[in-house]
Amino acid sequence: MNQPDKLEILKDILFTDDRAYAEKIAKRIEILEQNIEDSERLSAQVNPIVNKELKEFVENIPHTLGPTITETLKEEIKNHKDEVVDALYPVLGKMIKKYVAQEMKMLSESINNQLSKRFSAKGMSRRFRSWFGNVSEEELLLSEISSAKIEQVLLIEKDSGILKGSFSKRKTIDEDMISGMLTAIKSFVEDAFNQKNQNLELIEYELYQIHLQSFVTHYIAVVISGNYDLKSKNKVQDIIFNFYNSFMAMNLDLVFASSSIEISAEPVTRKKIEKELSKSFGNEQI
Amino acid sequence: MSKSKKIVVLGHFGVGKTSLIRRFVSNSFSDKYLVSIGVHITKKVVEISPTESLSFVIWDLEGTDEIDTIRDAYLLGTHGALFVFDVSRPSTFQNLKEDLKIVTAKMPKVPVLIIGNKIDLVVEKELKELLKEHNIDYNFLTSAKTGSTVDTAFLELAKELNV
Repeated sequence: MNQPDKLEILKDILFTDDRAYAEKIAKRIEILEQNIEDSERLSAQVNPIVNKELKEFVENIPHTLGPTITETLKEEIKNHKDEVVDALYPVLGKMIKKYVAQEMKMLSESINNQLSKRFSAKGMSRRFRSWFGNVSEEELLLSEISSAKIEQVLLIEKDSGILKGSFSKRKTIDEDMISGMLTAIKSFVEDAFNQKNQNLELIEYELYQIHLQSFVTHYIAVVISGNYDLKSKNKVQDIIFNFYNSFMAMNLDLVFASSSIEISAEPVTRKKIEKELSKSFGNEQI
Repeated sequence: MSKSKKIVVLGHFGVGKTSLIRRFVSNSFSDKYLVSIGVHITKKVVEISPTESLSFVIWDLEGTDEIDTIRDAYLLGTHGALFVFDVSRPSTFQNLKEDLKIVTAKMPKVPVLIIGNKIDLVVEKELKELLKEHNIDYNFLTSAKTGSTVDTAFLELAKELNV
């Protein structure tokens, strides 16, 4: 064995581990090269990481970019009001147009409906009022359409806010809770202004008005839609006072016009109150 | 049709009045604390027996540390009341006797049940010792969070009012 052979053997002995390690690295580089070159294998490796990062980024947008975006938008809107109006006009314009068209359609249907009844007693009466009152029939018709209507009547115990009876053309949300809340609002206002013997009389709620009339132990809340003018208000008050005199005074407040009237031994039931409310408010026009 | 009764729920700030009512009325609970402002009204029919029931119109009054500042107008016509304190906050029951004196002066002859709420936050044995130490009389210990004894308390009030 010559010198170079001996050297080779010695190298084999000394570098066995290094060679194995180098082979292992070479194999791994080869696998990595294959992964990079094969797009499917690469995406299988990379996609989960990208997805995770993207998800985190999206989740953090409200915290990281949100305030900046809001501030920028505010600034942009402030500085370019005309452009914003131009941009929104087609959308809002369409919405408003659609709403107005819908309302006009409903009004037109209502007018047609009224005109179809022009030979009814009411129609004839309107014609006479138009002739003698120097007001066009159309004006009278429009005022009839937008006139106030009683939607709901609640008879409520004054202190507790307990509902004693109600009359309603269509069912709304829980009337017991409405009665409680009306009483709470009424109590709060009357208490806050610290005015004895003064009562909250009217609540305006968008298209509705709630007329409140207090008596000794109870009060009446009348929910009204439409044009609630002074004439309608007087009419509602008349109906309420008629109801009070004919029923409430004797049965609930125990106030009698004459001492000859005997107190009824029977307690007033909710059914009876509701029957009386329906009788008094059901067919009244205001 | 069941008879309606006005129930008011009173107590200091954050004792869990609204949560107690929510648990009773809708059997739900939320950890989020929202301060009640003014009054909030809910309703639930309580079955006392198979043939008898009462309709509770429950007034959830805003919490206040000064019980005498509760608006008298909200208490008018009350049929029954629950006075709630927080068992985990002694400041809400240390002056219970004085608070109750004010409540009964504002609502004479109205039955008032005293409720210690949030028992899920304390060890019951230690709590009972603490309440005994402070000489606190209570009717029920409840947890709006777990629902423990909530229905029982309201049912007891219903029974008292139905006599």
